[in-house]
Amino acid sequence: MWMVNVRSPYGARRLALGMFALLLAALLLFPGQSQGLFDYLDGPVGQLVRLPLEAVSSLDQGISAMWQQYVSLQHVADENRRLKQDMDWLRGENNQLREAASATQRLASLLRFKEQALPAMVAAQVIGRDSSNRFRSVILNKGESDGIQKDMGVITPAGVVGRVVKTTGATAVVLLLTDPNNAIAGLIQRTRDEGIVEGVPQGHARLKYIPMLSAVKEGDHVVTSGLVGGFPRGLAIGTITAIDREEGALFQTAELAPEVDVDRVEEVLVIQAPQSQSADQTVTRPGPVSKPQP
Amino acid sequence: MKKFLVYTALILLLVPVQTTLLPHVAIWDIKPDLGLVFAALIGVLAGELEGLMVGLAIGWILNLYSAGDLWLNLVTTGGAGLFAGLLARQVAEITPTMVAVGLLLLSLLGGLVAVANMNHASMADAWWMIEFVVVPQACFDAAVGAGLLWVLEQRFPVPRFGILDRYS
Repeated sequence: MWMVNVRSPYGARRLALGMFALLLAALLLFPGQSQGLFDYLDGPVGQLVRLPLEAVSSLDQGISAMWQQYVSLQHVADENRRLKQDMDWLRGENNQLREAASATQRLASLLRFKEQALPAMVAAQVIGRDSSNRFRSVILNKGESDGIQKDMGVITPAGVVGRVVKTTGATAVVLLLTDPNNAIAGLIQRTRDEGIVEGVPQGHARLKYIPMLSAVKEGDHVVTSGLVGGFPRGLAIGTITAIDREEGALFQTAELAPEVDVDRVEEVLVIQAPQSQSADQTVTRPGPVSKPQP
Repeated sequence: MKKFLVYTALILLLVPVQTTLLPHVAIWDIKPDLGLVFAALIGVLAGELEGLMVGLAIGWILNLYSAGDLWLNLVTTGGAGLFAGLLARQVAEITPTMVAVGLLLLSLLGGLVAVANMNHASMADAWWMIEFVVVPQACFDAAVGAGLLWVLEQRFPVPRFGILDRYS
């Protein structure tokens, strides 16, 4: 029987090249099956990697907190943090109320209407950033064991952050709103025109497929339309900063400044139940997102 | 067994360093890809087979913490270990400059494959990615890899630097 002698340079080279070719062929010819095999192993490996990841993350957060609280002007930093939190809550409340008012106006003539209900949410902490530079994503300290699944929407009280794209037992990867691979159904709050919000490599976002006859203008707010899963209707996405109307084009495109500074986000809420389900089951008063329980 | 434990510890430590600590030292939002650098260095110092195996393990585990596709991470990081090992056999002496040039090429190649795999990017977006992400990251990877090899050379009696060490 032919054997490879891995101690000889030529044997090792042949074996390495053969294995690489085999792996490449398996990944290209049977993507589903090979992905399934790795998915099966992801759970235990994720739990193993969780320990050093959380240790380093808590050390990092401890040093950051110490720096912010004790070194760089303790009182000013505290006050600033509190004011920023308040501002985020108020901004979220303002958006929800504006959306509720708009909905009320449109539906006032109807006798029956469904009030907006907010779905169940899980609070999570950001413990890391994407391991490569090619994607804009963050890593959360909650995963499948906390009920987080792929395609769930992620928000802060100020607005949309992104969508869960990958999970292990203990962590989840959230593709940010500003990543070019992300697409979220958006709605211009004033004109009620719909479009698709997607990220751009430069780090902001754009709203595509706005009808040519839309009277959209700079400063208009864009919210989630609730048409595609993950997000309920009316969550703030961003503000339009520029509009691109090309001669002969079928649609307009607008540049968006995201409502949430996704590069600095530290705590988020993961939306667990889709809006349609929770709206059918529970009817609550329309209002801002309730504060997460620690 | 000792080698296996060292590689396991290296891979487990690589995840928090790459995802939590490196963003603090990122320059223009670009951080070095330590997975690629370590896979290539292991390929150079321990041979292409070990480079491939460790590269595949690093690619797989780092992929758990990235929004990217699994196959892309496996192929780029595993491939970096393999090709670094194969290239190292072709040179008489391994110096930091050689490693820098090799890593620059491998990182550029991996970055270009990733850009070509972007589904919704326009041509302008792809060029922006190449200019402001792929090329700076390749330079960063090359500098970090050369620096690490220089430190290794200074601190430890690492074999395989000279051709006689590698083939005797």
